[in-house]
Amino acid sequence: MNTEQLLQQAETLLVAWNKESLRPDPTRLDAVITADDLRAATQAIHDANWGYLSAITGLDLGPEAGQMEALYHFCNGSAILTLRVRQSREAKAVVPSIAEIIPPASFFERELQEMLGFTISGLNNNNRLFLPDDWPEEVYPMRTDFKTAQAAPVPGRLADELPEEGVVGGNTFVVPIGPQHPALKEPGHFEFTVDGEIVTGARMRLGYAHRGIEKAAESRNWSQNLYLFERVCGICSHTHALAYSMGVEKLAQVEVPPRAQAIRELVAGLERVHSHLLWLGVAAHEAGFDTLFMYSWRDRETVMSLLEQITGNRVNYSANVLGGVKCEIGPEQAKAVKEGLNYLESRIRHYLEVVTTDVMFLNRTRGIGTISFDEAVKFGLLGPTARASGLVRDVRVEAPYGAYLRFPVSAVTETNGDLEARFVVRLKELLVSCFTMRTVVDNLPEGPLSVRVPRKIPAGEAISRLEAPRGELFYYLKSNGGENPARIHVRTPSLCNWVSVLEKAVGRQLADVPMLIAGMDPCFSCNDRMVTVARSGDRQNWSWEQLRQHGIEYYSR
Amino acid sequence: MLTKEVYWKQIITKVQTWARLNSIWAVHFNSGSCNGCDIEILATLTPHYDVERFGIKLQGSPRHADVLVVTGPVTRQARERLLRTYEQMPEPKFVIAVGSCTISGGVFDGCYNVGGAVDEVIPVDVYVPGCPPRPEAVINGFLQLLTHLKSGSRQKVQKTSQPSQEVMA
Repeated sequence: MNTEQLLQQAETLLVAWNKESLRPDPTRLDAVITADDLRAATQAIHDANWGYLSAITGLDLGPEAGQMEALYHFCNGSAILTLRVRQSREAKAVVPSIAEIIPPASFFERELQEMLGFTISGLNNNNRLFLPDDWPEEVYPMRTDFKTAQAAPVPGRLADELPEEGVVGGNTFVVPIGPQHPALKEPGHFEFTVDGEIVTGARMRLGYAHRGIEKAAESRNWSQNLYLFERVCGICSHTHALAYSMGVEKLAQVEVPPRAQAIRELVAGLERVHSHLLWLGVAAHEAGFDTLFMYSWRDRETVMSLLEQITGNRVNYSANVLGGVKCEIGPEQAKAVKEGLNYLESRIRHYLEVVTTDVMFLNRTRGIGTISFDEAVKFGLLGPTARASGLVRDVRVEAPYGAYLRFPVSAVTETNGDLEARFVVRLKELLVSCFTMRTVVDNLPEGPLSVRVPRKIPAGEAISRLEAPRGELFYYLKSNGGENPARIHVRTPSLCNWVSVLEKAVGRQLADVPMLIAGMDPCFSCNDRMVTVARSGDRQNWSWEQLRQHGIEYYSR
Repeated sequence: MLTKEVYWKQIITKVQTWARLNSIWAVHFNSGSCNGCDIEILATLTPHYDVERFGIKLQGSPRHADVLVVTGPVTRQARERLLRTYEQMPEPKFVIAVGSCTISGGVFDGCYNVGGAVDEVIPVDVYVPGCPPRPEAVINGFLQLLTHLKSGSRQKVQKTSQPSQEVMA
């Protein structure tokens, strides 16, 4: 079915609840429904297997309008269906939870609840997701009238409150991991309840790296934001900047020249290679395979120097400008890229052999954390994690954008769904990327590098989706016709993939957890936060504060 | 005339400094960074840049670390944890702030969940600017620290209004 047919099918599905249909652009259908009908409408879409829930965006229409809007974006191929639910801003803005129908929605709903002040009825977890625990009640950062002064910490509360008890009872312990831990570069806090060695429960606390970029974007102009969004993530900075500029270009109705699109794809391809090699190294380090870590990071330097040669920077390349790119691929760069790719390809083939034949490594990966196809669909997984379970979730293939129309790629899938499959998928994907990049370099279209984009972007809404190294990246942009954006919402792929880790850790050995999280080391440097200290048989309960004081005194000697 | 005690103390200090200069162990703390600096720090450890040739090694526990390498603007949740990680380190301890965010908040300055510079929370020995700094710059930062340690002219900067329980060296 093509996009038009898909959208018509969606319209037919929603006919009972649809109050108003809008077609903002050929690939999108907006359906206005009431909050009471939301569950029924979602159920209908879910039952008909129409796409997947990609993101939920919350919009505050401002105190004058007195309304807020929740947008439920469903994606199917390149068709995007948006359910728009309006609620009054002053009242509690109750919206029913759809997490029972679509489990991954719970993360999005928690975000909606704490950022905009929607009340999600029937949500099973009302804990904070991103904001600190000492954040004042009824202050919502994404509301238009939010002032930073309102966010002063509530006295007597801590920014991240941990449970006071470390012992649950009997043989069951809570093992806290993070936010400072040896290997993962990102701070996240995990609590694994273990019975002996077996994990019986998993909890997660995010928000240590929550900086409030979406809010900051509203006070900066369109071109400043390009550099802000590049710094959402230092590993996939190009894809963030690209998704943002693609959205702005859609709003401004500007066509990017083919040469610029091709260079964007080339940089995205190089970024994928650097990101996957980085991941391979870190994941191997988790398995205790440091040799592979060192080798893959050595080879990653080849990509880094190529990126530097093309864009001038190793990380946060700033290859994009609104309306095109700012770096040219001359004969010299083309030659360097091809030479680099030849070397990398041979190395990637070698790594593919290592991860599928090394017995020690296979013991840590084969048959562990297996996610079936059905589970992958249910959890709403994205990117390589989904593709390892045979689920094709690849925006480059499903809804080609930019240069992928001219230089198509094929999706790499595996069927086993275990950790080994995730290694294999990522490495095979790199071979595909190398092939595509070589084609791009050989067939670079001629023409200008960029076109002019106006300083003020016309009013409207745009959605841009693209395939980041970790999965689908989703940007929603809204302009009021000014120099600054009215709202930008980012949904990163990792948020969707967390569910799988937490679900799959239960029942496994604690030692598998780091491999499952693929980037977290079980060297519990954080063990000093254990609240029970057993000394020669007798147990002594220490509070966090006592323990902390003890630590300071002990080590200051 | 040196007493025996002072004499031995001097010898021990010399040996300690020599040992410390040749085996700096670092612990990394991400206080809300975008990962850009973090991957550059990791890159300095791996074969291409290889800081292990200076005896510098990244390891997991703050209890075993001499140097705290901080990246990122300090977010509200990370602030307390940064302080705790710092407190857990044994004396003498040093802090290297890597990246523009650690120095001023960088592009995130003024965001609602960002507190600002690292030196408002803990004392800092060396600043490495850049967004992100190149691995060479990170190595230079380490070498700056080593030079200061060698000459004994270490200067700490702290802007915080409530100094931590630390006695400044």
